[in-house]
Amino acid sequence: MSYEMIATLMFSSMMLMLLTGQRVFGAIGFIAVVSALLLWGDKGGYDIGFAAAMKLMKWYPLLTLPMFIFMGYVLSESRIADDLYKMFHVWMGGVRGGLAIGTIGLMVLISAMNGLSVAGMAIGSTIALPELLKRGYDKRMVTGVIQAGSSLGILVPPSVVLVLYAMIARQPVGQLWLAGVIPGLMMAAMFIAYIVIRCRMNPELGPILSAEDRDIPRAEKLRLLRAGILPLVIFAVMMVPFVRGWTSLVESSAIGAGAAFLAAVLKGRMTREVFENSVRNTLGITCMFMWIILAALAFGAVFDGLGAVKAIESLFTEKMNLSPWMILIMMQLSFIIMGTFLDDTAMLVIVAPLYVPLVGALGFDLIWYGILYTITTQIAYMTPPFGYNLFLMRAMAPPEITLRDIYASITPFVLVMVLALILVMVFPQIATWLPDYIYDK
Amino acid sequence: APSIVHAQAPIKWRMQTYAGAALGEQVTKPAVDYINAAANGEMEIELFYADQIVPTGELFQAMQRGTIDMVHSDDDSMASPTPLQQFGGYFPFATKHILDVPVLFNQYGLADIWKEEYAKVGVEWLSAAGQDPCNFNTTKEIKSVADLDGLKLYTFPTAGRFLSKFGVVPVNIPYEDAEVAVQTGELDGMAWSGITEDYTVGWADVTDYFLTNNISGAWIGSFFVNQQQWADLPDHLKQLVMAGIEAGHTYRNQWYWGGEARLRAQGDKLKLSTVPADEWAEVENAAKDFWTEIAEEGEVHAKIVQIFRDYNDVINKAGPPYTNG
Amino acid sequence: MKFMRGYIRGIDAMNRRIGRIMMYGIFVLMGVLLWSTVSKAFFVPSLWTLEMAQFVMVGYYILGGPYSIQLGSNVRMDLLYGDWSLRRKAWFDLFTVFFLIFYLCVLLYGAVSSTAYSLGYWGTEPFSFFGGLVTGTEEIGHMEKSSSAWRPYLWPIKVVMIVGIFLMLLQCLSELLKDVLRLKGEAI
Ligand code: NA
Ligand code: NA
Repeated sequence: MSYEMIATLMFSSMMLMLLTGQRVFGAIGFIAVVSALLLWGDKGGYDIGFAAAMKLMKWYPLLTLPMFIFMGYVLSESRIADDLYKMFHVWMGGVRGGLAIGTIGLMVLISAMNGLSVAGMAIGSTIALPELLKRGYDKRMVTGVIQAGSSLGILVPPSVVLVLYAMIARQPVGQLWLAGVIPGLMMAAMFIAYIVIRCRMNPELGPILSAEDRDIPRAEKLRLLRAGILPLVIFAVMMVPFVRGWTSLVESSAIGAGAAFLAAVLKGRMTREVFENSVRNTLGITCMFMWIILAALAFGAVFDGLGAVKAIESLFTEKMNLSPWMILIMMQLSFIIMGTFLDDTAMLVIVAPLYVPLVGALGFDLIWYGILYTITTQIAYMTPPFGYNLFLMRAMAPPEITLRDIYASITPFVLVMVLALILVMVFPQIATWLPDYIYDK
Repeated sequence: APSIVHAQAPIKWRMQTYAGAALGEQVTKPAVDYINAAANGEMEIELFYADQIVPTGELFQAMQRGTIDMVHSDDDSMASPTPLQQFGGYFPFATKHILDVPVLFNQYGLADIWKEEYAKVGVEWLSAAGQDPCNFNTTKEIKSVADLDGLKLYTFPTAGRFLSKFGVVPVNIPYEDAEVAVQTGELDGMAWSGITEDYTVGWADVTDYFLTNNISGAWIGSFFVNQQQWADLPDHLKQLVMAGIEAGHTYRNQWYWGGEARLRAQGDKLKLSTVPADEWAEVENAAKDFWTEIAEEGEVHAKIVQIFRDYNDVINKAGPPYTNG
Repeated sequence: MKFMRGYIRGIDAMNRRIGRIMMYGIFVLMGVLLWSTVSKAFFVPSLWTLEMAQFVMVGYYILGGPYSIQLGSNVRMDLLYGDWSLRRKAWFDLFTVFFLIFYLCVLLYGAVSSTAYSLGYWGTEPFSFFGGLVTGTEEIGHMEKSSSAWRPYLWPIKVVMIVGIFLMLLQCLSELLKDVLRLKGEAI
């Protein structure tokens, strides 16, 4: 069988299998090992699957994964973010849509503490969601706010997605993280602008808090500001030693997880149940990620073995004779399409080795491209049928929120994200200015 | 007629090198290009870079099985299951210059030992050559031997074992991850190459200092082939493969020799520093004990260490330029 | 039928117990990484922490894998699947789980063969090598060590992987049997 044939078969049969509700890692892994056998036969065809396990073991940045996941669960399960939420609630309640705006603020702070979107989703849906619904906020708006806001977790540093990208694109993590800061804040501001405009047009979407709700003494209001200290402290104990070069990234993630755990214990929130849930869910989610990456690495090795990367490169540049910008736009579109039904880690591991060298060869800045990729991933998290935030929202939302609501809720926010993506594409300085300024390029 | 030859499907080999794409372009690809061009369609080697198909630690096993047909690497980093493992890569202070390596292999008998030991584990050893010296490029300046203490360096297993005597913490990660690892704080730098490689692979962008003292004058790396594949290859193609490898050696010799000089003199990314020779002698002397230690590990070990001793006696008597490290 | 129920109960209980133990591995991992931080700040940096953390991580996700299947953590794509009836899901799962089982079998074979290599076996019959070890016709050769300065032997972590992949296989068979029972109309 020709290599092109194997490659085409690999992708099409994987898509088919995924539609039938296969576990993702099973589908990817099966295609990988069967193609390895077609390609290598008994000369090592059996070994590729396991060689990926050894490769995965050596991929040290993945050690941050369970740490960030655990941290996210501890922060949400122990409800130590409650006060933080109350702070935004009290200070923003007087504005139309103020609680939704406050929720975006909350999500930005949580994003600065955690490298994944899980923490924001968990905190948003357990703390913010019930409160917002109780105050008569529109449920579609609210679920959208939480899904979109929590996705900032991978754009605002620290970010696990950008670490994985850095490993694949061989780009400096520090600069990538800095490059995410302004786009992250810009996107948060765009979400807020959207909320403000929508609530001005339809005030019933985000009613102002009732007078008794707002009648809080000034001293109490100021006291609640203190809630903002905790995330700052956690961010600082995690990031300062890392930035100063005292600890490595992996060590810092352990410090962050340890600090969140300690904070929960000190606040008396680490009950048996919270402990059980955090520890168990961390295992579940980490295993899911790792088994998918394990299968995807084998898939990638076979794909490399077929020489598929070179084939696609020559297809784009020589046969189709496309301009660099056309190729870039096509890549982003294909990423968005793939992102609707692929896991982002699988997407990164499978497709990035293909795209990233090409982007570099076309003369684009790979730091900037990392931000484009991350925004695409954020969109992927929210677009049906496959998206982590969708799944999490479905698992965590109260019964009155239907699947239809969840799907409908994301549309405006995805459009805002696409707008942000276009802005960063047209004005690369949004991403590159800060790292250039700090590293004095 | 030549068209008959073309009608046959070409022999396809898959080769993986220890080097990432940027470096592999210089150290491995020239040989592959030569073979592919000269084979006139009879043979085609497809080149893959570090960890692309299998992780470097599994490289040897993959070659035994035939997942990979051909490998360019050193015995040390691919964890060769032979007594030779510690001698590939950088055996401390065994060599001074890039040309010492072919001399040791072809005139002092290392080639026979290598051929024999690899045949035992089912792999055909083809050829070894020298590369760059093992200097240090770091984020912190090294001005004395004491500055090595506590540095986390990406280095070869055996070099790491030796350097740990001076407080270095050797870190072992995949080659392509080393640059990012400096930025994630996993590494303070590398004891892995000369200055040419630092600039080529981008390490000069993430570190600031280059120590001109080395712990070895030339890297020892080899080309290997799966035994069965080699046996099945027609004789004229065997000749061609060997000629291509030799052509690659020649190119590499010049590339490194010229690069080391030019970038030390004109490079602007790394600040040079030097530990005075009489202080660095402490490190050289420690290597002598290390040699004795290793020689006691087995018969083959002892034989190779003796060859290193003999050769070093010769060049020490000969004097400069042979002795200038 | 009775056998199926017994198998499901037995395997699920065993994997649950192992998973419940591995779950606390998060603290071991955190401990190793924090020790790495502390030792670097106050003493000499440790040679072994990064690699040890990698080993712990492997044990964590490989041995914890079967329990994560029980927890239903493994993402499925459910563009079509999500809207199906339980019965239809069971029918499809009944077939698709064989793909997963095939993948795990290849993975297991690779693990066994790599473990044999780490014990100095170069041949292509890893199972007969282990058989030979038991009967005494084969012996352990060159033991593979990690290429780090710490140089731990690699066979222990490879054995952990064999065990974990095997347990995963047993768990998937249990899922298969559950679907069979479901299709027979029994409650699970
Ligand atoms: Na973040
Ligand atoms: Na999606």
